[in-house]
Amino acid sequence: MNRGYVLKLALVWVAIFVVLAITFRLLEFDLPFMLNWTGFLFKGIGYTILVSAISILFSVLLALIGALARLSKNPIANGLSTFYVSFIRGTPQLVQVYMIYLGLPQVGQSLEALGAPGWLADLFVLPAIPSGILALSINYGAYMTETFRAGIQSIHEGQREAALSLGMTQGQCMRRIILPQALRIVIPPVGNDFIAMLKDSSLVSLMGVMELTWRATKVGRRYFRSLELLSVAAIFYWIMTIILQTVQGRVEERLGRGRKR
Amino acid sequence: MAPIIKVRNLHKRFKDPARRGEWLEVIHGIDLDVEPGEVVVLIGRSGAGKSTLLRCLNFLEEPDDGTVEIDGVEIQAGEHSRERTRHIIDIRTKAGMVFQSYNLFPHMTALQNVIEGLITVKKWDRDRAIAKAEEELSWVGLLDKRDEYPIRLSGGQQQRIAIARGLAMEPKIMLFDEPTSALDPELIGEVVEVMERLAREGMTMVVVSHEMHFVRDVANRVIFMDGGVFVEDAPPSVMFTNPKDENTRQFLTHIL
Repeated sequence: MNRGYVLKLALVWVAIFVVLAITFRLLEFDLPFMLNWTGFLFKGIGYTILVSAISILFSVLLALIGALARLSKNPIANGLSTFYVSFIRGTPQLVQVYMIYLGLPQVGQSLEALGAPGWLADLFVLPAIPSGILALSINYGAYMTETFRAGIQSIHEGQREAALSLGMTQGQCMRRIILPQALRIVIPPVGNDFIAMLKDSSLVSLMGVMELTWRATKVGRRYFRSLELLSVAAIFYWIMTIILQTVQGRVEERLGRGRKR
Repeated sequence: MAPIIKVRNLHKRFKDPARRGEWLEVIHGIDLDVEPGEVVVLIGRSGAGKSTLLRCLNFLEEPDDGTVEIDGVEIQAGEHSRERTRHIIDIRTKAGMVFQSYNLFPHMTALQNVIEGLITVKKWDRDRAIAKAEEELSWVGLLDKRDEYPIRLSGGQQQRIAIARGLAMEPKIMLFDEPTSALDPELIGEVVEVMERLAREGMTMVVVSHEMHFVRDVANRVIFMDGGVFVEDAPPSVMFTNPKDENTRQFLTHIL
């Protein structure tokens, strides 16, 4: 890209921000009000990061198990995995969240009625944050199962043959040869999923977790200043995703060893 | 001396890709004995079953019928048990394999490629494995490339490292599946040189190759395969000057 083009690009961005600023002005944005509540919203970021970080960890684990099950010749493992992916991808995330938060306690109650001990029934009544983490993990795990499966399948058959011909077991071959190569391939899509997860974590606000979106809507509604606070929340999300994208780029660069001539 | 490779009545069928539901018999009841130190080269048209036979020897291809015995470990076709899986792994550590497309592990350096089997399969400690790997790398003349990733190496260098990777496991036999077919002509020589040296050191080798230089100078036996059977099995001097079979004669005029 030449200098002139970069300059024009920068000008377009500046123009966008100027237009936005004028719009906010015309809409009579209450700037002091926004600044006043920014600190309060900022405290919600902790929950957002907590929920998405733990969820991504669990969903990667689920996806790994799901993909290995999907690729195994065992009909039970294969069937469970295909059902999991099909059902989760075929139903709305919101329904899944409510099923876990509102539906699971009902399961516990029924179990108790069937004579199960009380502590077992209590296990089904999940607080908001664990509910959210569970829902997001299960949901993203299903999508990532497909990503991982494709990653594993993209490794050339000759790699498996070379590993087996050295005397490796199927498990050793998977751990030492296939997965490390597949992992590098799935880093970009998993990175994208992580970014999407960060934003989808706002779903847990529906269960009353005091994260970013919950705080923005709660305060915004009370003072009829939703636009202001939602804008602040949006900017926070935006900054976080930009940081994540940078980290993703670094990781890809590191894992690129052995690829570059 | 007892043969180190003993194959009896080997059969292998594949589903015919051209005709649905039909089976194609690629190996058609083969017997093979190879003595320790022998170098056997399989030649024949594509589809004759050379590579399939080779891959049945270390069970990368599961035979449909017959037995394979390597260095005293005998495996029957068809049965399945935990013990059999152990025997297959046993055979694979006794039989190193070199592939047409090298199949080095791209996420590992040359050295890591060579120590991988020693550490993962043989459970050697790292220092011992590295010492052994350096020995093998210098034997194929590539010790200076020990820390390079495969992508930075030429095809000939990659194939030599693949040979070192196989040799590090201290195999009793080495299987070569068209080891020079993917190489640029000017790189074939360095791989053939390593294979010749290996043969001179007494390694038992079964090679699928049409590299005439190697076949003529190094092979003890040349086997011409056609339609999944051995048509002719003779020392190269006999095979190339006085083949008995008309089919063999015709094939040889194409490659000589």
